[in-house]
Amino acid sequence: MLEPISVSLESLNLGTLAPMLIAIAGGLGILVIDLIKKDLDKTLYVMLSVLFLFVDLGAVLGQTVGTRGFFDVMLIDGIAVLGQIVILLASMLFIPLALTSKRFHEFSYPEFFALFLFMVAGFQFMVASDNLILIFVGLETASLALYTLIALHNRERSFEAAIKYFVMGALAAGFYVMGAMIFYAVSGSVELGKIAEVLEASGFANLSLLLVGAAFMIAALGFKLSMVPFHTWTPDVYEGASATLAGYMSVVPKIAGFVVALRIFGYFIQSDIVWMRDILYAAVVITMTLANIMALVQHDVKRMLAFSSISHAGFVMAAIMIGTTQANSALFLYWILFLFTNLGAFAMLWISRHKASIWHERYDHPYEKFSGMIQIKPVGAVIMALFMLSLAGVPPFSLFWGKLYIMSAAVNSDYIILALIMAVNSAISAYYYLKLIVYMFLKDPSQNEGTIYSQNTSKPLQTIIGFSAFLTVFAMFAVNPMMDAITAYVQASGF
Amino acid sequence: MDHILSILVLFPALAGLLGFVVSKESIRAYGLTVAAIEFLLSLWLWFSFDSHYPGFQFVEMLPLIPSFGINYYLGVDGISLFIVVLSTFITLVGLIALSVEKDLKNMIISLLFLEMTMVGVFVALDAIVFYVFWELSLVPMLYIIGAWGGNLRIYAAIKFFLYTFAGSLVMLVGMLVMAYLYHQATGVWSFSITEWHRLILPLDYQIWLFIAFFIGLAIKVPMFPFHTWLPYAHGQAPTIGSVILAAVLLKMGTYGLVRLPLPMFPDASVYMIFPVAVLSLIMIIYTAMVAYAQEDMKQVVAYSSISHMGVIVLGTFAMNAVGISGSVFFMLSHGIVSGALFMLVGVIYDRRHTKLMSEFGGLAKVMPRYATIMGIMVMASVGLPLTMSFVGEFLSLAGFYKVSHAMTILAGTSIILGAVYMLTLYKKSFFGEVTKEENKNLKDLNGKESMALWTLVLVTIWLGVYPKPVLEPINTSVESLVSFMHKKAITDEAKKVIAPTVIEREAK
Repeated sequence: MLEPISVSLESLNLGTLAPMLIAIAGGLGILVIDLIKKDLDKTLYVMLSVLFLFVDLGAVLGQTVGTRGFFDVMLIDGIAVLGQIVILLASMLFIPLALTSKRFHEFSYPEFFALFLFMVAGFQFMVASDNLILIFVGLETASLALYTLIALHNRERSFEAAIKYFVMGALAAGFYVMGAMIFYAVSGSVELGKIAEVLEASGFANLSLLLVGAAFMIAALGFKLSMVPFHTWTPDVYEGASATLAGYMSVVPKIAGFVVALRIFGYFIQSDIVWMRDILYAAVVITMTLANIMALVQHDVKRMLAFSSISHAGFVMAAIMIGTTQANSALFLYWILFLFTNLGAFAMLWISRHKASIWHERYDHPYEKFSGMIQIKPVGAVIMALFMLSLAGVPPFSLFWGKLYIMSAAVNSDYIILALIMAVNSAISAYYYLKLIVYMFLKDPSQNEGTIYSQNTSKPLQTIIGFSAFLTVFAMFAVNPMMDAITAYVQASGF
Repeated sequence: MDHILSILVLFPALAGLLGFVVSKESIRAYGLTVAAIEFLLSLWLWFSFDSHYPGFQFVEMLPLIPSFGINYYLGVDGISLFIVVLSTFITLVGLIALSVEKDLKNMIISLLFLEMTMVGVFVALDAIVFYVFWELSLVPMLYIIGAWGGNLRIYAAIKFFLYTFAGSLVMLVGMLVMAYLYHQATGVWSFSITEWHRLILPLDYQIWLFIAFFIGLAIKVPMFPFHTWLPYAHGQAPTIGSVILAAVLLKMGTYGLVRLPLPMFPDASVYMIFPVAVLSLIMIIYTAMVAYAQEDMKQVVAYSSISHMGVIVLGTFAMNAVGISGSVFFMLSHGIVSGALFMLVGVIYDRRHTKLMSEFGGLAKVMPRYATIMGIMVMASVGLPLTMSFVGEFLSLAGFYKVSHAMTILAGTSIILGAVYMLTLYKKSFFGEVTKEENKNLKDLNGKESMALWTLVLVTIWLGVYPKPVLEPINTSVESLVSFMHKKAITDEAKKVIAPTVIEREAK
């Protein structure tokens, strides 16, 4: 005789699902509006998306930290909330960038906005769970939407990029499932908390099998975080995607990946499993350094920024490897500061986007394009230079404080060599950021009347870039309150 | 005036921002007015400074990132006071003599931002604030060298930026370790330099930290073998860039040595005297010889500048009040004299668009006023008594004489070698017949050039004859610094070497 299954609504705690449901409802709503009335303008969809994201953000902020819900698969801890805040902030800054003055193909489809909201929901699921299956579902929901968004850009390279990303993503998904399967085989659970308990109780009996599982996980997350040597898709995909989407991809999927990595590897690090630490250490150093060196030789600003964002991801992965509360808080601080700066930099590329490739047969944004920009568009050149200086870690601009905190976390955990490697990498990276500044400020302008730099601009774009630039310059006044809040969240989730 | 230091730092920055609105025609007047007000403010600072009080004055502190112990913390003592005055003075004089026509507005705005960072470095008492201004100074300088420089300007500008940036990142790691050790010892985060001074560390920690700080500072000085960026930077920079670089920016390095590693790591500093002294000697002698081999006037001045910086470092590592006071004074005189020399080379470059000595000869006949000032400044550079350099060089070497006789005598060759290359330069360009047709009708100094240069000459001779008003406040602070180091030192060797004059006096 089977017991009747009774589930109390209270134990389901549907509030934990609310933020994602808002995003999904938003996406569906946009599709329905399109069904009822065709030929509505993109401005409507952009603003609707912003509103849904706003409500979503409100729902996230309203959640009680430390609760579980929906058959205990949802986990709302501090880093879940923080991750969602970063994802939503970045999305709210990204989506108005669709309001360009030039008409771009993809933004005329309402599906673009619906897919975008589904993707956001996917990332939210990914960070708000410690159940390997739900993480996978979130990951794939987000990734499938993202492939389509890239392809919608509708240029030759976009299809290539989308296919490349899809194939790599599928491989990564396979790795992820393999890793999860091994964890399940070892512990009999797909919940990270339970896995940890079982492993602890058995005294890591199946260490070699665990190693294989962790290796698969590193490979899977390595693809998502574009850690070297799994990074090869990144520059090509960024190049094929529109500049704004590239900027978005350099921030949001990564933070989702970081949160998952923190959940999976954080446990190993806290249990002092030496080989895990060593593997991560090696991965971090190689990612930082190799991506930096690759960025040195790029001819296109967008590809340079792609490699630089890989290097930044490596830098931040170090925080997970260090594993102290200070390091994990520094990770979020760094990524929030990186969000504004990097999205700003990509948005600057976006407003100079021209439909025809008039500068280079292959590249949209070769360095030469920016020659002498200071003489033609001084404000634009200064703002772009600010973003570059910030990315290079020149104080007092925003990312300096992120670097300061992460390097300090490294020093405090006796990773002085790592701190020095970070310092050397910052010095190397200064060269390629400086290269753009040199082109903008020190070279003579080539024949162009300057419209190229603001080809695509509009008031909303200017507002967002101005906002990013403002935060880049005055970040130092925001660091303390941000750090306090972040530390409280991170501590609340036990990392 | 409670906030005079903040005003000194923020005024040029605000003026720079407002400068974007000023029209092209009146930007020179605007820049001059701002620089003059800033200079007057710094004079006011000097006059309200109590020269008998050895500690920090006009201290301001506001929490910036309290949870991490970073404060907006400013203050001046006798050591930094005059370097602040030097910075505002040189900026003003440089602006008076400024002969740039192209993009004048951007130039003046960059100079004002540069002025902010220079003053900021010298008044900062929080390591992170110090670091912020230190790094920020690279940006306007990069632009000044890169946009107005010679043919290789971009290469020179990037080299300048990357060298200093890389070095200071190592220093940043050192700062983070320092903050960590302070946290370990006290349980509180702090980046305050004055707090750090109180932290007593074992010798091996001190040595590693000393090296980290030293690398950052030495690149800026520039110590041999990190000096290779400087000849490029000077060779390519426009006149105003060279003037500010030589007069003020290099001083950031030597000032940093006095402010950071010496009081923080007295034992390591004593331990490191020999290697640092050897590097300084190489700097002094080798670059003097290289200076002699140059054909370009500006390169002669650039290498002579490195050579003299060697004497400053040597004086700093004398570990006694005479040497350190002398080296701080020498920083000022080097600022004035090398600034003037670069300006003088700039004058001739503006007229002939060449700096090669072989292009000149007999200039004394064509440009008598120019030749007079050049003569005085060459003498000052050589270290002739009654000029400011003599006081500084003499005291620096006299201080180091107590540490090592032989090394001091070797370092003394800098005076002889200096005379050799400087007088050769003067002979080749100014004496003899006017050989080149183009040189026969060169215009002598114009009004603004004369004004700028004569001011520098006056200061050089005034402080050469009567250095007391400057030397005394410097000495008060340096004596307290040295006796502090003596008290703090944990090894007997360091106690022996660090000679606190104050204690000697009391003993008598």
